[in-house]
Amino acid sequence: MSLEVRGLTKRFVGLVAVDDVSFTVEPDEIVGIIGPNGSGKTTLLSMMAGLLTPTSGRVLWKGREVQRLRPDIIAGQGVVKTFQNPQVFAELSVFENVQVASHLKLKRELGLRRALEIVGAARDVERRLAERVAEVLALCNLGGASRQLAGNLSYGEEKMLGIAMALMCEPELLLLDEPATGLGRDEIRNLEAVLDKVHAAGTTLCLVDHKIGFLRGLAGRVIALNYGQKIAEGPPERVLNEPAVIEAYLGAGHARA
Amino acid sequence: MTGQTILWGALYALPLLVRSDFLLTIFIFTFIYGILAVTFDLIFGFTGQLSMFHPAVFGVSAYMTHLLAVHAGLPFWAATLPSAAASVVLAVVVGSICFKFRLKTFYFAVVTLAFSEMIRLVVMNWNSVTNGTLGLVVAGKPTIYWPGSGVIPIKGPVAWYYLTLVCLSVTVLICSRCLRSWMGRCFGAIRLNEDLARTLGINVFRYKLLSFAMGNALASFAGGLYGYYTGYIDPGYLGINQSMEVLAMVLLGGQGTLTGPIVGSLVLTGLPHAIDLRAELRAVLYGTILIFTILVMPRGIVGTLNAWRSRRVS
Repeated sequence: MSLEVRGLTKRFVGLVAVDDVSFTVEPDEIVGIIGPNGSGKTTLLSMMAGLLTPTSGRVLWKGREVQRLRPDIIAGQGVVKTFQNPQVFAELSVFENVQVASHLKLKRELGLRRALEIVGAARDVERRLAERVAEVLALCNLGGASRQLAGNLSYGEEKMLGIAMALMCEPELLLLDEPATGLGRDEIRNLEAVLDKVHAAGTTLCLVDHKIGFLRGLAGRVIALNYGQKIAEGPPERVLNEPAVIEAYLGAGHARA
Repeated sequence: MTGQTILWGALYALPLLVRSDFLLTIFIFTFIYGILAVTFDLIFGFTGQLSMFHPAVFGVSAYMTHLLAVHAGLPFWAATLPSAAASVVLAVVVGSICFKFRLKTFYFAVVTLAFSEMIRLVVMNWNSVTNGTLGLVVAGKPTIYWPGSGVIPIKGPVAWYYLTLVCLSVTVLICSRCLRSWMGRCFGAIRLNEDLARTLGINVFRYKLLSFAMGNALASFAGGLYGYYTGYIDPGYLGINQSMEVLAMVLLGGQGTLTGPIVGSLVLTGLPHAIDLRAELRAVLYGTILIFTILVMPRGIVGTLNAWRSRRVS
């Protein structure tokens, strides 16, 4: 068992954004969460990453409750989330952005020996770190932009940089919030290739998007949300043909057709 | 890098070339305020937290160093260490409260200012220990061990010049080493995008507190030095104007750099002396220069120079 969501509910004043949703994400899976705008996808993902506290319900990671833990602790335990609106350190170069994201990796590998970096006795650590940053950037096809300021990147590149930073945290489960939204066709193809490589390297993926074509090709299992409730779950082809899902997306008239 | 080496070399060579007590005195004040400004920049320019707490640690450590020397018979250097420890305790208490409640920008500034004022009022009214608004006269001198002559007191401008310069160098060295390590990366991440930093696994609370405690601990040495140098301590050390002064130095010199605050300290310490005018006119000219510089160079003197240099290179 990897991640389990049990009866998760988030109520904002007068609005139930996520309503009693339960599902699991098994190791090595790619799970897609779909739903129209405002169906609670992002809220759900934010609760899984500790960015929002649920009103009720539980999130279990490897059997332990994590729904009240801080996001940095959850990230430390191997669940890392990217943002829907790309978040980068705009004043730093692309390389430095990923370098900052090495925090957890260094913490895991070195612990308090990180103090050696202060007295300048950790040259080999710094060198290995730089190599690793270059690797991650190459994996995400950002190697060429390494020296650019993150603030000067295009929208698609910023999103990719977000993924590169998340990868630098070496997550076991990567939560992607609308990674394909706002991207052009070539950028989506690039994203698919990158995510394939990430998955092949052993990272479990859980992604939210409303680009159905993109999810159909990638996800092994799809969960559909509407008005905060889970309305369908299963293999992509089956879920996407389910009348309730078609109705949620296109309106009642199309469900019968 | 070489430019910095030359600059520091020039500072160390200055007393050998210039025998003007007037000039050396300006530099001594520059160095002491430089320590204050550099450590303030660690918290403000590098970690992005507008702290108004510097006067509190500056004043408290000035009082504590002196009182420990007088009442406990400690030598100056031994007395600075408990003062630094007290500053860390104060910083951890105040910082924990502010950062737990996630106070940012002006809210953080106002609450740290309130704590600083609170400590100032305690110092001002604790007559039996601090002698209230009348202040205390510091008669002692810091001593150092000098090979050949044993333990000697620091007296005269040249000795003070080197003492304060070494203290500033050590402060800058500690700050620059820490900022180049993973600590500096965490500080920067917090300044630039706290939410992102959090999702990348950075404990925002811990690193804000670390920056705040470190900045205040190092600033405490400036307090001890200042009291001993001027020979007089009063509650004005803890006044809000000290915060303003240090903030002006950092904005003028260049926030987010280590050289900037020292340049700002030099300009703001030297300028009032360099302008040879009547007092009222001097204040007007001084203010005008300040406003003008900040309008024309929002990144400060050093920030503007750096940007200009990197543009020429690329």
